[in-house]
Amino acid sequence: MRLKKAVAMGLGLTVAATTVLAGCGSSKDSSTTADGKANLSVFIFANDHESEIYNKMFEEYKEAHSDTINDIDVQITTQDEYSTTLTGMMTAGDLPDIFYVGPESVKEFVDNGYIENLQPYLDKAGITTEGLSAQEALNSYRYDGSQTGSGDIYALPKDASVFAYAYNKDMFDEAGIPYPDPENPYTYDEFVEVCKQFTKDTDGDGEIDQWGCGTADTFMMYQYIWSNGASFLSDDHKTVTIDTPEFKEAVQKYVDLTLTHKVTPTVEQDTSLGVYQRWLAGQEAFYACGTWDVAAFEDKETFPFNWDLCGYPTLSTGVSQTWLGTVGFCVSANSENKEIATDLVSYLSTDEEGQKELSGITTGESIQLPNITSLTEGEFLSSIESGDLAFPSNVDVFFNYLGGTDKYAGKFMETTYTPNSEWMDLFFEGFANVKNGSTTVDDYIAQVQPQMQAALDSAWADAE
Amino acid sequence: MAEVKMKTKKKLSKAALREERWGRAFIAPPFIGFCLFMAFPIVFAFVASLSSWNGINGITDNFVGFRNYIQLFTDVKFWKVMGNTIIYMIGIPIGMILALVIAIGMNRKIKGIKILRTIYYIPVVSSLVAVSIVWMWVYNYDYGLLNSAIKAISGTHGPNWLGDEFWVKVAMIIFMVWKGLGTSIILYLSGLQTIPRDYYEAAKIDGANGLQLFRNITMPLVSPVTFYLLIMGLIGGFQVFVEIMVMVPKGGTNYSAATIVFYLYDKAFSNRQMGYGSAMAFLLCIIIFIVTAINFKCQDKWVKTID
Repeated sequence: MRLKKAVAMGLGLTVAATTVLAGCGSSKDSSTTADGKANLSVFIFANDHESEIYNKMFEEYKEAHSDTINDIDVQITTQDEYSTTLTGMMTAGDLPDIFYVGPESVKEFVDNGYIENLQPYLDKAGITTEGLSAQEALNSYRYDGSQTGSGDIYALPKDASVFAYAYNKDMFDEAGIPYPDPENPYTYDEFVEVCKQFTKDTDGDGEIDQWGCGTADTFMMYQYIWSNGASFLSDDHKTVTIDTPEFKEAVQKYVDLTLTHKVTPTVEQDTSLGVYQRWLAGQEAFYACGTWDVAAFEDKETFPFNWDLCGYPTLSTGVSQTWLGTVGFCVSANSENKEIATDLVSYLSTDEEGQKELSGITTGESIQLPNITSLTEGEFLSSIESGDLAFPSNVDVFFNYLGGTDKYAGKFMETTYTPNSEWMDLFFEGFANVKNGSTTVDDYIAQVQPQMQAALDSAWADAE
Repeated sequence: MAEVKMKTKKKLSKAALREERWGRAFIAPPFIGFCLFMAFPIVFAFVASLSSWNGINGITDNFVGFRNYIQLFTDVKFWKVMGNTIIYMIGIPIGMILALVIAIGMNRKIKGIKILRTIYYIPVVSSLVAVSIVWMWVYNYDYGLLNSAIKAISGTHGPNWLGDEFWVKVAMIIFMVWKGLGTSIILYLSGLQTIPRDYYEAAKIDGANGLQLFRNITMPLVSPVTFYLLIMGLIGGFQVFVEIMVMVPKGGTNYSAATIVFYLYDKAFSNRQMGYGSAMAFLLCIIIFIVTAINFKCQDKWVKTID
């Protein structure tokens, strides 16, 4: 009998445990303690280096605000995992107080009541955003109720990133070729000529093992398309415009690098060792460098070469173009501590000490440009000049893309303005067949354009 | 009738009642577990499949009826991944034949047989993600084990296993056969060991040769195992996902490697079309149910037991 009771108890407990576990999942506290202090929760993605800095910033903020804050619960994940986990939290109605939002999601998150309008809180606390260097990034978090770009602020930028081009200085020295001029990006033809000089068989085994550049389609084709005055979408982002002559010409020139001029690894070679790894191994003279890559490329263990920044080659417009990125800190609409959360968000976005660490002024390792104009123009540039901050000397390339000049322009990817990016994925899905010569640019575009349009239509239909 | 029932119920003694309560307590955990983790998700998925839910908007506000299902039938990509999934199933008979041959080989008293059996079973107990990563390297175009071997033997460069639209399917089939072989061998082996020796002896006395023994005794008597493997193979075949996700994370050139579940995941989680993804999941569930039902219906025709 006793045994039976024990068994019954066990069963009861199991049932209770299953029910409770299933019910709660991971609960994020947005609450207030008995003595009126706030419990805040934060969910972001970051790499190890960033995590360290952010954790430190949260600790410091908590200590400085110990009269109003009891605890800050920080959850950090990887960029790959972030969106899926966040969707899960939203579905479960279990959002943290502060989390990341990209410009592409602002409208949807606001319309569905997930994120809070920060404007009243910023105004009340007298926090201004004028000193932010990333004004375009900031504007991407404005929303006026019908479209993003203007109106109230719904998030403050964590950063504004730039996907610039870089070259391996050591390879240029060895080949006796003058360095690219950051003031005047190469034209396409000049670029091809330079690349050809690098493309060779260095160990005499009959196979090419060094190339002019490496091309990763999903990141490095926009530069050619935009510089040729073409784009994937019409201005209202509703029509796929990849069948224009400018678009086709740009894609052809991009493919020619691999097929005609043979200055990049082939599609097959790319599958055995990616173009990024080949750049790190010193097999390619040119490769892309995002603002977040600087610390890694400056680390001799990762990249044992001297290098610097330059512009992507220019096509018919004569302007070198690339894409910009940003992610912002927003506050949950269900947060019980919106005022404090907004203050924390502005601290993360604009705190000078935090920005010094992230941009590398104090740590020597840079993973983003500073968000504050005065810091950028002052200490950031001076510490690069003095050599305290390991950074390529052509840092202006980043700023040129970010701010725009007559030779440089940067913009967000076109998927930023569409409900999802499926239509874009379709373009790249079979692109390897163009790059390996089994189908032509014209045929491919004719085949994929209707599919992309259908996917885009359906995405818009679902969203409206 | 109702009166009779009432009477029987009344007749239950206290002890019987207690017994019944205990019975219910014992089945409660699996029953509640089933409701929570199986029945609820199934009903939820069905409701979601009737909406354009994206995980963020409300399900009930975005009710679209059977639109997702209708769209599925005209979705070229859906039929493509369906085709890919079915092509991968070529691996099922190949795996079964290989497993049976190896099991027959192993069903003898040879030295080191236990070690051999263990080796064949290692892939089964290994993590699917881990072995997928290993095979990704085996299939590497320039540095892979397979292409190095092909080059050493024939002097020509092997195919782009994971990058070519045709070869990626061959590569995945080889991988799936390899991964499943251990289970099939062990099951066939146990099947072979239940066949009484005297069947073979009697047949031999009647003058049957090796092939006849195999065709008329071995094959029919291991048919229950074959049936089990076929059913499990088909169900598993419709659910292939992890190896694709690891080895060809974008689904291959032109989606040539993607399976139904991969597409479902892509739709639901990458493009946040949860409603559409749910519709696909539900349709997949129905397909698996029909295929399994057909299998059970046809089993009388070819599945034999010793009695």
